[in-house]
Amino acid sequence: MPALRRSTCLSCVALAALSLSLYTQEVVLPLKPDSVRFLAIGDMGTGEKPQYEVAGQIIAHRGKFPFEFVLMLGDNIYGGHDPIDYQNKFELPYKPLLDAGVKFYAVLGNHDTPNERFYKFFNMNGQKYYTYKKSNVRFFALDSNYMDPQQLSWLEKELQNSGSDWKICYFHHPLYSSGAFHGSSTELRLLLEPLFVKYGVQVVFAGHEHVYERVKPQKGTYYFTEGASGSLRKGNLRKTDLTAVGYDQDRSFMLVEISGDELYFQTISRTGLTVDSGVIRRVAKISGAASWPTVRPWHGGLPGRMMVKAIDVNLTRALTATE
Amino acid sequence: MKRRIRATRLLLWLSVFAFVSPGFAGQARVPRDSEEARDLKTFSDRVQAYVKMQKNLEASLSTLKPTKDAAQIVEHQHALARKIADARRDARQGDIFTHEVTEQFRKIIRKAFHGPEGRLARRTIQRETPVKATVLHINDVVPDDMPLTTMPPTLLGRLPELPRELVYRIVGHALTLQDAKARLIVDFIPNAIP
Repeated sequence: MPALRRSTCLSCVALAALSLSLYTQEVVLPLKPDSVRFLAIGDMGTGEKPQYEVAGQIIAHRGKFPFEFVLMLGDNIYGGHDPIDYQNKFELPYKPLLDAGVKFYAVLGNHDTPNERFYKFFNMNGQKYYTYKKSNVRFFALDSNYMDPQQLSWLEKELQNSGSDWKICYFHHPLYSSGAFHGSSTELRLLLEPLFVKYGVQVVFAGHEHVYERVKPQKGTYYFTEGASGSLRKGNLRKTDLTAVGYDQDRSFMLVEISGDELYFQTISRTGLTVDSGVIRRVAKISGAASWPTVRPWHGGLPGRMMVKAIDVNLTRALTATE
Repeated sequence: MKRRIRATRLLLWLSVFAFVSPGFAGQARVPRDSEEARDLKTFSDRVQAYVKMQKNLEASLSTLKPTKDAAQIVEHQHALARKIADARRDARQGDIFTHEVTEQFRKIIRKAFHGPEGRLARRTIQRETPVKATVLHINDVVPDDMPLTTMPPTLLGRLPELPRELVYRIVGHALTLQDAKARLIVDFIPNAIP
């Protein structure tokens, strides 16, 4: 009888684990035809086990959400930069993606060497900052380590000339962050934010802080920090008024889909738990004004209560952080 | 009446003299500006001379184009650094940041780190990953595992513009001039950054 009880118990645990893994592999993004689909990862290039585990989740999720390219938010390769480091910290963990023709578009973090711009897999074409377009979306990849007047005037010119519906900027240092280790890059914000407002940049991605954070919209722009795709500072999010949703308990990555006037996002942890999701809606441009986006929760197939609970728990833990 | 006319003429001449003579009020401003311009011209000339040399040296190597082979990137960096270090084996600290240039840079840095802007610039640096105490030498290659300190954008906005072959970098309290590709220290100003 006790043996039966034990086996029943074990079966229950196995079933629960199975259902959890099935549940956690859920993609809540709408997968609309002809949408722009991409992944955002930051601070990943450690070459350590958690980076490989996150990469495993990413690869598993690509089966359900076939994204075409990846935004690398900096700290692409930590520590040494010998050829073996490029291999162990990038080529091996993401090999299935590279083999499938997924393109990576990197920016430089403070742990990167500027010569990574010559690494073809990073698609920087020898430049420290650059721009590219995917359908109706224009991406601006910036070097926030070195925001000199030349880069600023280049950015302004490119933003001005861009007729794309969506303008997305990404760089390493977050302009708004509740991270306890670095916090917001306020000096950089003074220079970049006026340009984002003037030219209607709807979404900004950054890394640097080893947590995930979605900041409440600031002057019409949505800011995401995804700096935990390899490194993690557990419990490092402070409780601030900035945070819309934060997650600092495990590593994570973001899946993003843009279709017409809607940008859908889903943030997933190393273990496959969805920790945030939503949709940002672009409001059609009125002549002379920037196109302000609005946001509404997008829980797709996931129960909303579960999501809120997970986020609440994480923020409560962040409050007890001692770092 | 004649005396009053003479006095008026004298005052007139004196004021004209004061306007054109370097010995009067205008003197302090004009030479100071030209001194600054001269020093920054010295800096610019030396930077151009470095870039010319660097380009010649790099031309003797196979061109570095974007490549999937990381070994090529690393080899190019090392080969270029060796060539530059060899060509500049007699280089000393202060060759580009001469005494006068250093003084001008210190003034610029002081301005950038004072006032409300300065508070933000200081914060930019303080919030970075601390860099271990490092003794700097000319022609040393910056270690790959040393994190970059963000250059405060307001400071970059004040410093003389550099060609793309060179970058300013803060290492500890020093302002360094680094070769962008070879990652080699070309010159530095110690204790420049508060």
